[in-house]
Amino acid sequence: MAGATVYAIVMSDREIARAVVARLGRAGADKVLLCEGAGLAAPALDATHGAALQAAVERVAPLLVLFPAGGAGMALGPSLAARIGAAFAGAADLEATDAAGPLADGVGRVVLRRWRGRRAAYRRLDPVEIERPVIAILAAGVAAQQVGSEVIDVDVIACAPPRGNTTSEISSEPDDAAAIPLARVLVAVDPALGPEAVTRIAAAAPPGVAVVDRNRSAAAIAASAPEIVIAIGDVELSAMGTPRGRLGAILFGDAALPPRAVDVLWRLPATALGDELWSEIGEALSAFASKDVS
Amino acid sequence: MNVVVCLRAPPPDPEVDTLARADALALGHALALGAGDHQTTALLGGTSMEAGSLRLALAAGVERAVRVAADDMAGTDFHTIGQLLAIALRRIGADLVLTGARSDDEGLGAAPAAIARHLGANYVAGVEEIAVVSAGTVDVVARGGGRKRRLRVKLPAVLTIAAGPAAPRQRPPRTGAPPAIEVIPLSDPEATVVRRRTELLGRLEPASRGVETVTSAAALVAALDRR
Repeated sequence: MAGATVYAIVMSDREIARAVVARLGRAGADKVLLCEGAGLAAPALDATHGAALQAAVERVAPLLVLFPAGGAGMALGPSLAARIGAAFAGAADLEATDAAGPLADGVGRVVLRRWRGRRAAYRRLDPVEIERPVIAILAAGVAAQQVGSEVIDVDVIACAPPRGNTTSEISSEPDDAAAIPLARVLVAVDPALGPEAVTRIAAAAPPGVAVVDRNRSAAAIAASAPEIVIAIGDVELSAMGTPRGRLGAILFGDAALPPRAVDVLWRLPATALGDELWSEIGEALSAFASKDVS
Repeated sequence: MNVVVCLRAPPPDPEVDTLARADALALGHALALGAGDHQTTALLGGTSMEAGSLRLALAAGVERAVRVAADDMAGTDFHTIGQLLAIALRRIGADLVLTGARSDDEGLGAAPAAIARHLGANYVAGVEEIAVVSAGTVDVVARGGGRKRRLRVKLPAVLTIAAGPAAPRQRPPRTGAPPAIEVIPLSDPEATVVRRRTELLGRLEPASRGVETVTSAAALVAALDRR
């Protein structure tokens, strides 16, 4: 995008490895802003990381602040928006536009598009138009491409620890659901269909496709913005995915579906429930394997 | 300890009161904390026609229900919603505020952070478990950075709830009629400082997408993956 500078913000308690800087450069960053301070290598929380992120953002006065899917977006994005008076989009598509605007000729623009709740309409967020930064979480599944140079500058911001110890970690363990928000395709299954449904469908699912129980993985689903969602049975579908994404549902009997709730619908009689159906769905998911999934 | 659950206004339905699933999770956690030492309040911004979720919360066992009288919360930006609800929460004297994750009308999940900002409270998103440690501290479980973490959080705090309580607890049936829903009017002098910034929601564009019906799993996958 002509005229735009892309900063990668990294938070850590130490200098970052040269390989990490090179990777960020290859992915398109023009410069790295390293927020360095005690405790910043830990998973992000507003109490421990919010002030440091605000300091980094205020240094560059950005039009857009973008979080990757499965990252610290929901932990830090809304609170950053509240701190700096920005707009926020919990799951959004980034779009380039040449449409006429208030900027000087020849300067390209980027806008974001998100769903309004319950997929009733789109919301288009143009930071130039609203004259405020936009903070957004992007959809999962975008393949990494080499678009930039490995050799980029790193600016270090020394961050003091937050005043007052208001939130502290007591214990932690590996998150067995960490891969779910990173999946390009999310299949959410109504637990009322029985445990065999998830087990059989997941057994045939290729990498990049997460098959989850709606209740057991509720937290990971809430943190997800997949490119494609398939809801099987009674699964609340609002606020999942982005406008560019696609949403499908498999429903049984005469189960109700709100208007505009999905793009693709497969309705089956309640008598179709069973292992044969789960296997058919699992096998069909293998078609996603031919795509470049991360 | 004063525990407050912020509820959203569901689409008006004259026949049935409904509670959004995300709000039901937050309410479940609040009730699971138990009565006795805690007073649990349900809070909603909206019209009297949108108070159905407050009635459901009273029926489920909250001691108090409060409505911030507002005509058009559905079209209001999250900064303004946060400011309005923070005024009410200060009145109530909230120590612990629970909300559904992404449960606002726009599906953003940003209003809780705005509430925390205006209250000067801690903010933790995506909470799955809550345990009261003392009058001023709770332990919560949340995920992030590839870890499932137990965190000790000082109050006041605003938590967004992403999963239901492990052991839902039913409160004993109320004796007598439930209390009336209290109303905080927007004409309140304290609330007139609110400045709406609806432009931050973005420009509304129609989403004209039809529903394609298919008859097999393979056709469903092919239709979803079509570009």
